[in-house]
Amino acid sequence: MAIENLKIIGESINDSVPSTHKLFEATDIDGLLELARFQSERGAAYIDVNVGPRSPQFMADLVRKIQSVACKPLSIDTPDPAIARAGLEAYDPEKAGGAKPVLNSVTSLRTGMFDLLEVRRFRPILLASEHEVDGRSRPCRTPEETVAAARHLVHTFRDQYGGANDDCIIDPGIFPLGSDSEGNIHRLFGAMEQMHADPDFDGCHYSVGLSNFTVMLPSKRPDGTPVKGALESAFLTKAMPLGLDMVIGSVKRKYELLPPDHPAMQCLNDVLQLTGFDVLTRVREFYA
Amino acid sequence: MAENGELYDAILVGNAKKAEEITTAALEAKADPNELVQKQMIPAMDEVGRRFECNEYFVPELLISARAMKTALELITPHLAASGTQPTGRVVIGTVQGDLHDIGKNLVASMLEGGGFEVIDLGVDVPPETFVEAAQEKSNSIVALSALLTTTMTMMKTVIDALQEAGLREKTRVIIGGAPITQAFADEIGADGYSDNASAAVGLARKLVGA
Repeated sequence: MAIENLKIIGESINDSVPSTHKLFEATDIDGLLELARFQSERGAAYIDVNVGPRSPQFMADLVRKIQSVACKPLSIDTPDPAIARAGLEAYDPEKAGGAKPVLNSVTSLRTGMFDLLEVRRFRPILLASEHEVDGRSRPCRTPEETVAAARHLVHTFRDQYGGANDDCIIDPGIFPLGSDSEGNIHRLFGAMEQMHADPDFDGCHYSVGLSNFTVMLPSKRPDGTPVKGALESAFLTKAMPLGLDMVIGSVKRKYELLPPDHPAMQCLNDVLQLTGFDVLTRVREFYA
Repeated sequence: MAENGELYDAILVGNAKKAEEITTAALEAKADPNELVQKQMIPAMDEVGRRFECNEYFVPELLISARAMKTALELITPHLAASGTQPTGRVVIGTVQGDLHDIGKNLVASMLEGGGFEVIDLGVDVPPETFVEAAQEKSNSIVALSALLTTTMTMMKTVIDALQEAGLREKTRVIIGGAPITQAFADEIGADGYSDNASAAVGLARKLVGA
């Protein structure tokens, strides 16, 4: 799992993960705590906590219970301000070595989440894959739109809330490669290149929801070699030199930096030269 | 494969260029457009769906085949309209308000088109009133709602309530899907059906229109 300078936000405690959803539905708190313990022991830098549509009180109770079994800082993962507030209020930095929690996430249309900094200082994940158009949230389609969304969020955090770049975790948004006929991979890498070269973003951190990259693809190739882990590693190999230093991901996955002649690396390099359905055809060639 | 026809084969392997050539040639040779749809295109997409459900095909294959199907369908549609051929049914589809995710919705829309349905795609972040307007405009439609977030799935009930309030609920069937959706949730909010994948959504829609 370990790649130097890459921090994992353990993704398991999330209501949208089917096996975890069952634990939530059964109110199996011991099962959820076991996930926290496991991820902590396996090297997660943060433990994500997403309770879905459950109550703020549920989030607060779960945060306290997780902190009683795991010493890693938490990532409070919800778009609901009341649930986020409850999670932040319940969070005890002393139980995480003094570390601030992460708040996942703030978007251009949800900058009000920064008001929760009054409750507790946190490190925001700034979701730059969407931006505000005529008062509504819309997906960013170009690197420039993505960079502008990130800049707006960083400036708001810095200028209006006294935040520092070092606390910013910019998420440019990663989309499933197996359905990417619209060039999202180009948007993402284009945006990362621009931000990496822009002094305005100096000190910022970058993260993506890495498992999303390979969702809906088979787990293995016909020769038994892995598909998902290899493509995710290829992504890291390409993105880390552009500043990516965090991922929301699995502590079970063996992430590694790949050599240029690795088939997954060749696939990703080819994909970055292709557009439209040729991307899907190349991905299919990799796993078929 | 050849016994099913060249167009069937081209769609099954996702060769859009070949599908276009075969369809153009067939139409020039005065082939029955409805027969092309019913005997080659729909069976090809049914087979794609079967392979998808058996994990022989994955999302890239599904999308590539759906594109080949769409390429052929665009050539055939004017001929179908001229002959007065009706689609299997009509589906108004969209991702509910507050949710920008469209991959699952697009997959379902493609498979429904491949299954012979007319699909009106309203896009993402669709307000309840837009679903109501579309259902009003396209009467006897199926309304298909998608949501990826646990925080937006509750909006599905709001759409159903809005259809009820507009007096459209009786003649509109509502189907739902998305990562956090379950049959139990569908039952709870009074949806007419739920599918956990794009291929099965076609079977569900066919069942609801009695096809």
